[in-house]
Amino acid sequence: MAFVASKGPSRRLHGVRRVWAGLSAGDRIVVLLFALIVSVAIAGPWLAPHPTMTADPAQRLLPPSLEHWLGTDDNGIDVFSRLLAAPRTDVTIALVATLLSVLVGAPLGVLAGLFESHPRRVLSLTGEGMLRLLDVLQAFPVFILAMVLVAIRGPGTENVILAVAFVNFPVFLRLVRSELLSLRQRPFAEAARAIGRSDLAAAFVHLLPNALPTVVVQLSVTVGFAVLLTAGLSFVGAGIRPPTPELGAMIAGGAKFMALGQWWVSLFPGLALGAIVFVCGLFGEVIGRALEPGASSAPRRRRAPPLAAAAAATNAPAADPQALLAVDRLSLIGDDPEAPLLETMSLSLRPGERLGIVGVAGAGKSLLLRTVLALPPPGTTVRGRVRFEGRDLETLPAAELRRLRGATLAAILPNAKAQLNPLVRIGDFMAAQIRAHVRCSEAEARRRAAKMLVAVGLTDPERRLDAYPHELSGGMAQRVCIAIALLHRPRLLVADEPTAGLDVTVQRQVLDLMLKLSKEQNVAQIVATRDLGIVAHYCDTVAVLEGGRLVEMGPVAAVLTAPSSAVTHRLIAASRGETA
Amino acid sequence: MRSLIYIGRRLLLLVPQLLLISIATFVLIRALPGDPARLELGPLAPQEGVDQLRRQLRLDQPLPQQYLAYVERLAQGNLGRSWVGSTEVSADLAVRLPATLELIIGGMLLVAVVLVPLAMVSAMPGGGIAGQLARKVSFGYGLLAGALPDFWLGLVLIFVFFSLLGWAPGPEGRLGILDVSPDHVTGMYTVDALIAGDLATFWSALAHLALPCITLAFVYGAPVFKMVRSSLESALKADYTLYARAVGLRPTTVLRYAMRNAAPPSIVMAGVVSGYLLGGAVLIETVFNLNGLGQYAVQAVTTADYAPIQAFVLISAVFTMLVYLLVDLAYFALDPRVSRGATR
Repeated sequence: MAFVASKGPSRRLHGVRRVWAGLSAGDRIVVLLFALIVSVAIAGPWLAPHPTMTADPAQRLLPPSLEHWLGTDDNGIDVFSRLLAAPRTDVTIALVATLLSVLVGAPLGVLAGLFESHPRRVLSLTGEGMLRLLDVLQAFPVFILAMVLVAIRGPGTENVILAVAFVNFPVFLRLVRSELLSLRQRPFAEAARAIGRSDLAAAFVHLLPNALPTVVVQLSVTVGFAVLLTAGLSFVGAGIRPPTPELGAMIAGGAKFMALGQWWVSLFPGLALGAIVFVCGLFGEVIGRALEPGASSAPRRRRAPPLAAAAAATNAPAADPQALLAVDRLSLIGDDPEAPLLETMSLSLRPGERLGIVGVAGAGKSLLLRTVLALPPPGTTVRGRVRFEGRDLETLPAAELRRLRGATLAAILPNAKAQLNPLVRIGDFMAAQIRAHVRCSEAEARRRAAKMLVAVGLTDPERRLDAYPHELSGGMAQRVCIAIALLHRPRLLVADEPTAGLDVTVQRQVLDLMLKLSKEQNVAQIVATRDLGIVAHYCDTVAVLEGGRLVEMGPVAAVLTAPSSAVTHRLIAASRGETA
Repeated sequence: MRSLIYIGRRLLLLVPQLLLISIATFVLIRALPGDPARLELGPLAPQEGVDQLRRQLRLDQPLPQQYLAYVERLAQGNLGRSWVGSTEVSADLAVRLPATLELIIGGMLLVAVVLVPLAMVSAMPGGGIAGQLARKVSFGYGLLAGALPDFWLGLVLIFVFFSLLGWAPGPEGRLGILDVSPDHVTGMYTVDALIAGDLATFWSALAHLALPCITLAFVYGAPVFKMVRSSLESALKADYTLYARAVGLRPTTVLRYAMRNAAPPSIVMAGVVSGYLLGGAVLIETVFNLNGLGQYAVQAVTTADYAPIQAFVLISAVFTMLVYLLVDLAYFALDPRVSRGATR
């Protein structure tokens, strides 16, 4: 319990201490490891218990022992001591090279971003040209480019730094440019331009600081990568050369002994190298999370405490023997068991009955429909019971549940264009849907699909079957979804916002179509909507949801003319265009 | 028709790209201090030879002329001579390129056969104990793979599987010391041995390839692995997958459709990684002594042998460009939103 108590409101802390307090235990370990690497890089050479650069042939290739913790290499130098001394070389090169590539890449990125969207053709072409040039530069594989640069300029610390910086600056150029382009869309950038700051000044004063978090994260990743690159170059002899202690060269020095069984010469420097790169990457993620505004202290959404009495009063209809769908004390529990997403809801539906579910956004309409379809969001728990045609959906085997869905239990989900897989042709999807429920040939399935498309009022069905979703309008996609829902003569149609995003005429056509089918084929419907007008015209019964609870339910005329709850009052007022 | 135009335009883009690459390599070499002819022929070459090459390279003429001479020589397939080995660079490449291709293809096959399925399994929810295990393995792999240096990993594999266990051959090259290389057809020993019907040589070549390919796949497969996993994960969470389940599609169909959505970003990532593979091959070939293009380049760099360096840089850039071309074409074929723009 002490642990819980310590999480209570704490005093205001400042600067580093406050950041530290916001970190999780794992993040703190990463920060400490990073600090360890930095300290070894700074003080390592002085901490080494044995000389790091003096050969001693008498001590050649000794295995790890108390005297030489990690053994000795082929020059008789203590591996542990060299390992303490080596990171200074690698980390220094990586840090300096990364800083250099930021100093060159970031301003160039600002220029590229500014030029590219500049109205003057000369400048926009220059920006475009810069990027194309970068494409060509990046066509040369990084390692090869670095190796050749060192080859041309000769080995040595400065040349390795230059080479590593040179191959990395395009990363920062591109990063800053793309950050800039996305930040330019934001209001404060517009404001800066509106008050007459020049583009360039605005970019440097406002945009670059805002792009900083992303750049900082990339920095630590690049430092890790630069360490690997430096070690790789030294490994092939195109970087730092012995006797300077350096991890890649140490690995190279022990390479041939790996095959001979003297593993310690190469193994430990490699582990150290891996650890440095690994910690750098993790450190970047930690900084990224710390810099993200409000990341650590996001308030948890809480719902209003349940009103047990009111819930009990409205949620206990008598069991209906003729019910097609019976929802009995259904609850949906999310992350917080204290605040269920849906709370003890009961309702039932007879064949051919049309139920409207209304409520403001977040009231739980979609969750209710998903639970009715036995597709609750991952990570939630369902309590209570949903019975469809007398069968409990919770206990139904997955295969049978699947055969039910899309056949007798049909679904229409909001925003049809997002529901259809963008990479699957309408015809393929419909045929697969038909053949998942009925034994028939592909050709037969397509014929049925085409017939259904005509039935929902789509012309030229062959062309629609051949189309991808992005080639349809919103109304057409909605009709396709309705067609899919009706393919197997459903008994219940669950429709979530079936007309949202459609213009008024199309909305009407879609609803009339649904009503007609409901009447002709005796299809029961559950329609979730924010639009009371739809409910008034198309439904028999209405259920009002608020905060995951069912607050009112009854015949449409009764509820809409004499609402008993405040929510319903507000919804009615809102639909009349009044303010609540 | 649209596709023909797209493919045509994309192929046309290759022309300026190759032009820029050739200019870049040209500039890279001219940036060297000293006489390019002398550099190419080495410090030991007689002065007459150097003078002859100077004339051939038109070094006495202005830079544009020199560039033209450079391109002309390239067009004839003449990549110069290695002064260290006194061989034609193009002949060296013909021998060494297949070794590198064998390594790269083998590594990418491993990625496709082992890592991609693992990534897919770990992206799927549920799956019982096997699924949990796959997710644990893939989490651990995701953490490790980005950090471990390829050349070191190769050495550790040699230590474990050669010196310790004796399961794999040591870093002795592409074949055992006593093996005879198969008749040259493709230059890839595994393929040539199969063509010759020589199974013993085939197994030997395969055994010598195993550790290098594993190293390559482990290190360079990581970005592909992560991309497959995350894109399949998000496809399985997407609205269209929920809808596909809501209308009762078979689970296999649901998965197949989600995989279609995960494919384009994964293929782009595979392409980007393939572009880096020649760079990775440099280190891995050195560790395993495979005598491929990469090791050739390392030898050239350490001996300041400029003609091979120039050729290698050129080839690697062209290789990258071609890989990117393939990626673009694959993306075009896979995503109808690119190939069939919004038409109504």
